[in-house]
Amino acid sequence: MRTGHFKERTAQLVALSDSKVVWSFAGLLLALVLAAPFLIGNYQVTLLVSAMIAIVGAVGLNMLTGTTGLISLGQAGFLAVGAYTNAILMMDYGWPVWLSMPAAGVVSALVSLLVGVPSLRLKGLYLAITTLAFAFIINHVILYAEWLTHGPNGIFVSGAKVFGVDLQRGKALYYMTFGITVVVVFAALNIQRSRVGRAWMAIRDHDIAARVMGVDLLRYKLYAFMVSSFIVGIAGALISLQIRFVNIDVFALILSIEALAIIILGGLGSIAGAILGAIFLSLLPEAIRLFFDAFADTNSSFYTTYVYEIRGITYGIVIIAFLRLKPEGLIGLWRDVRKYWSNWPLAY
Amino acid sequence: MKNGLLALSAFLLASTASYAADPGVSDTEIKIGDVNIMTGPASFIGRAVSVGSKIAAAEINEAGGVNGRKITIITEDDGYVPARSFQALTKLIEVDEIFALNGTSGTANVLAMMPLIEENNLPTVVTTAPNELVYQPVRPSVFTVGASYSDAFYAQLKYIHENTEPENAVYGLIRQDDDFGGAVEAGYDRAVKEFGVKDGLRIRFKKGTANFAAEVAQMRQAGVNVLANGGIIAGAANILSEARKLSMDLQVASVWSEDMPPSVNLSAPAGYDYLVADYVALSGPAIDAFLEKAKKYASDEEVAAINRYTYVTYVGLKALAEAMGQCGQDLTRACTVEKLRELKDFDTQGISAPLSFDNPEQLSGTAVAVYQLNAAEKTFTALTDFADY
Repeated sequence: MRTGHFKERTAQLVALSDSKVVWSFAGLLLALVLAAPFLIGNYQVTLLVSAMIAIVGAVGLNMLTGTTGLISLGQAGFLAVGAYTNAILMMDYGWPVWLSMPAAGVVSALVSLLVGVPSLRLKGLYLAITTLAFAFIINHVILYAEWLTHGPNGIFVSGAKVFGVDLQRGKALYYMTFGITVVVVFAALNIQRSRVGRAWMAIRDHDIAARVMGVDLLRYKLYAFMVSSFIVGIAGALISLQIRFVNIDVFALILSIEALAIIILGGLGSIAGAILGAIFLSLLPEAIRLFFDAFADTNSSFYTTYVYEIRGITYGIVIIAFLRLKPEGLIGLWRDVRKYWSNWPLAY
Repeated sequence: MKNGLLALSAFLLASTASYAADPGVSDTEIKIGDVNIMTGPASFIGRAVSVGSKIAAAEINEAGGVNGRKITIITEDDGYVPARSFQALTKLIEVDEIFALNGTSGTANVLAMMPLIEENNLPTVVTTAPNELVYQPVRPSVFTVGASYSDAFYAQLKYIHENTEPENAVYGLIRQDDDFGGAVEAGYDRAVKEFGVKDGLRIRFKKGTANFAAEVAQMRQAGVNVLANGGIIAGAANILSEARKLSMDLQVASVWSEDMPPSVNLSAPAGYDYLVADYVALSGPAIDAFLEKAKKYASDEEVAAINRYTYVTYVGLKALAEAMGQCGQDLTRACTVEKLRELKDFDTQGISAPLSFDNPEQLSGTAVAVYQLNAAEKTFTALTDFADY
C-alpha cells in the first residue's frame, strides 16, 4: 500500500507521473495499441482510427472549454476548416501530406482569431452562440466559395504518401493517427502544466481574479482559441484522410454537440477524461450492436423491425444513466477505481 | 513423374481458383449490403429502401434464388452522416463480407463510400442518389438508377408551359444552396431559356431553413405564378403554406420527394395540386401489383413504410439479381459488373421505364413521368408516360 507522495527534487515535481506502476501500465497499453492492427480485423482498426481522431479533437476542445472555461459550439467549423485546408492543399495545389496537415492546423488556428477576438468579452452561453454562428459562417463560405472549396460537390482526397507508403489505408493510417494522438496528448499534458496552462485555469476559475493576478485575459484567451483550433484542425485533416472525401455534410453541426458531449462525459478539464470520453462515445454504438447481437433474438420480427430504434434509445439511456450516476464523468469513475486499488485491502 | 507434377500443379491451381472466389458468395447464399438512413429525421427514406430490398430478396428467394443461392440482405445504418456511411461500408466489407451493394443512402454518403467501392470492385446499384456526382466520372462497378433532378424539373415545367401555363406567366425558382439545389436550378434554367418565358426570381436558401415567409413574399412581389419549388418535405410544405397565406395562384413543380405520403400529408393542406416528375410509377396497375406482393412478403409496419424509394430499391435489386444470375455458378464481382454493363431493356414490370446500363455513364431509369397531386384526396394521377428529356 502506498503511503503518500514525497517530492525531493524539481524533476519529481514536473514529472508526468512518479509512479512506476503507472508507467508500466502505460507501457503495456502502448504495446497493446501498437500490436492491435496485427491482432484485430480491418473494421476494428477503422473504429480505432475514428476513436483516435475523436481523441485528438476532444483534447483540442478540452483546452478551450475544459481548461479555459470558454464554451464552444464551433468545433464542426474548425474541423471543416482543417479538413478542407488539407484537401485543397493536397488535391488542388499538390502539397505533400506532411506539409498540408500542419498547414491545416495553422489555417484553423488563424481562422480561430476571427471568432476569438470578437468573443473576448463574452462568456458562457453568449460565447457558445457566437461560436455556433461561426460554424454557420464556415458552412456558408464552403458552399459559396466554389472556386476554392468546390462548393457542395466536395473533394476526393487521395495520394497521401510518404516514402511510397499510402497513409490513408490500414496500418499506415492507424500508426500515423496513433503517433499524432500521442504527440497531441503529451503536448496538451505539458501545456496544462505550463505558465500558459495555469493562466487558462485561472481564467476558467475566476477571470477577474486572474486579471488581478496579472493574467492578460486577451492574450491567454486567444492562445486558448488558437491552440485548441490548431489541434482540432489536425483532427479535421485526419478525417479527410480517413474518409478520403470532404463535403459540407461531413461536418454537420451535430459534431459540435457530440464533441461537447465527449468532454462532459469524460470529465471536463481533464485530458484523461477527454480520452476516455472519446473512446467511450466512439465505440459505444458498436458495443451496443455487439451486445444485442449476442443477447437478443435477432431473428424476431420485433427486433428486425425496430432494431435501430432499440439501439438508438439504448445509446441515449446509457449516456443519461452515466451522467446521472457519475456526474464527474468517466475520469471520476477512473479515480474511484484507482483509489480503491491503491488503498486495497483498506478501501472503503 | 513429370506428368504427376503437372497434374498436381493443375490441381493446386484449380483449388486456388476456387478458394479465391469473391467474398459474400457461398454455395447457398449471396450477401448483399445496404447502407441506409435508418435513424434520424430522414429514416422514413431508409426504412422504405430497406423494405424494397427485403421484398425483392424474398421474391427472388421464393423463386429458387440466384442459381440456387439465396439472397441475404445486411443493412447498416448511417444516420445520413457521410462519415458513418464510410464506417458502415467498412463493416459490411470486412466483417459481413458482402458480395455487392444495393442501398446507398444520400449523395454525399455514396461519395464517402466511393473509394471503398472502387477499391473492392464492389458491384453497386445506386438507386436513391441519382446525382451527376455519382456517375460522373464513371466508376467501373457503380450503376445508377434514376433521372436527374434537372430533367425532372424540366419535364414538369415543359408540361406546364405546353398545357396549363397561365397568362402573363412569370416563372420563379426557390432552391437549396447545395449540389441538389444546383441540379434543380439547371433544369429550371434550361426550361426558361428554351421556352423563352419570363424568369421572375431565383432564390437560394440554406438546407434546413424552416421559415420561408420572406422568400415567398419576394416571389409574390415579383409576380411569380409558375413556381419551381426546390424545397423538400417540411421545407416544400412551408413554402406552399406561405404562398397560400398570401393567396398566390400558382402552378407548382416539385421535387420527387413530394410524392411520398409523409410529404403529401404536410403539403396537401395548402391546397395546391402540385406536379411531380418521378422515374418510378406512383399509381396504376404496376403499383397495385407491387403492393399485393408487399403484403405477402412484408409485415404491416413495413407495408405502411412503403414509398417511392421502396419501388426503386426493389427494381435495383432485381436488376442486380438478373446480372448475378447471368453469371451462372461461377459468380464473381467482375462477372456481375460485366453483366450489369450489358444489361439492356430489363423489364421492371412497369415500376419504372426498362433499365439499360449499356451506356457510357452506366446510368438508367432516366425517363420520368409527370404526375399531379389531387390535394383533397392525396392521390396522384399520371399526366405523361415515362419519357427522356
